[in-house]
Amino acid sequence: MNSNPHNAMNSDCGEDTLRLIAGLPAPAGLEERVRKALQAAPRSGRVLAWPARFRAKSVMESNWMRAAAAAAIVFVVVGGGWGVYSRVQPGPAGKVIVMPQRMPSSGGFSGAGAIRTPQTIPGPKVREQATPTSKDRSSGAPAGNKGTREKGTQTAKKPAAPKKLATGQHPASAPTPQPAVSR
Amino acid sequence: MEIPTSAVTEEARQRAEDAAISALVDQYAGALYRVAYSVLRNPSDAEDAVQEAFLRVLRHRHTLTEVRDHRVWLIRIVWNIALDRKRRVKTRPETDDGAELARVLPSKGLSAEELAAAAQHHARVLACVEQLPAKEREVLLLSAFEELTSVEIAAVLSITESSVRSRLFRARNLMAGMIDHERSLR
Repeated sequence: MNSNPHNAMNSDCGEDTLRLIAGLPAPAGLEERVRKALQAAPRSGRVLAWPARFRAKSVMESNWMRAAAAAAIVFVVVGGGWGVYSRVQPGPAGKVIVMPQRMPSSGGFSGAGAIRTPQTIPGPKVREQATPTSKDRSSGAPAGNKGTREKGTQTAKKPAAPKKLATGQHPASAPTPQPAVSR
Repeated sequence: MEIPTSAVTEEARQRAEDAAISALVDQYAGALYRVAYSVLRNPSDAEDAVQEAFLRVLRHRHTLTEVRDHRVWLIRIVWNIALDRKRRVKTRPETDDGAELARVLPSKGLSAEELAAAAQHHARVLACVEQLPAKEREVLLLSAFEELTSVEIAAVLSITESSVRSRLFRARNLMAGMIDHERSLR
């Protein structure tokens, strides 16, 4: 122990303090108090004692009897468990419908486990439009789809560029092209 | 009247066990108290731990003959009891180490001021010890008992001797760092 227990200020890692605590004297009369506590404590152990009539004469005999009793307990427990197990019948198996496994088509996307998949490969069919008759041409397109149909034709056909007029000439008075007269 | 042999042997055995336990109490009660006190830092708790340790010995008195080193065995018992108690009483408000140390420290040749300063320093050191990791702290606490060698500390903690040495080395380094840090703050 350190010769001067109070000189701990110079210690580097505080071991003097710990040594000082470790060297503290035990309180007076500790042994007596412990002895009294031991006398007051119950002497019997946790293991049950044999009745006087069956008490073993030696330690070896006692051990043998304990082992036999333990074996008997194990036998009863295992036998009981086996009896219950052998009587219990396994119940009927539950009804399980096995779904057919869908194989993914080769080279395409998988169906991701979907039961019904729409047919996407042939593609949607567009209904063919009815060709306009001569009557429709004269009266124009029907009112319902006039705009759309007109637009479509307009975008499809480019209108012919008007001829360049001379300066100061009214478009109405411009000479209409006369068909060539064959002589 | 004939006395049964089994009764005589039983009584004699019990008397021999009592004598053995009483001898253990005389020999090791003080050391066990110091071990418990170093962990618990409370005299009454340490004494309770010692009593509990001997009660455990009484319960396992039949195995006393099988124990090789009674001192290490008893220290191990009281060490585990003290750690268990400390874990349980952690919820309690901590006692003032400085005041407690000032009360228990020997005060020969010291003025009241010196005694108070020493107690404060020891309290600071103990606070640093508390901050150590558990493994290092345990080894450091047990190493303070000069009667315990590193082999015996290893037996108490159920670790190898090399582990004891490496943990002690780490604990000393950590403590030195913490105490230096404390000094620099002042």
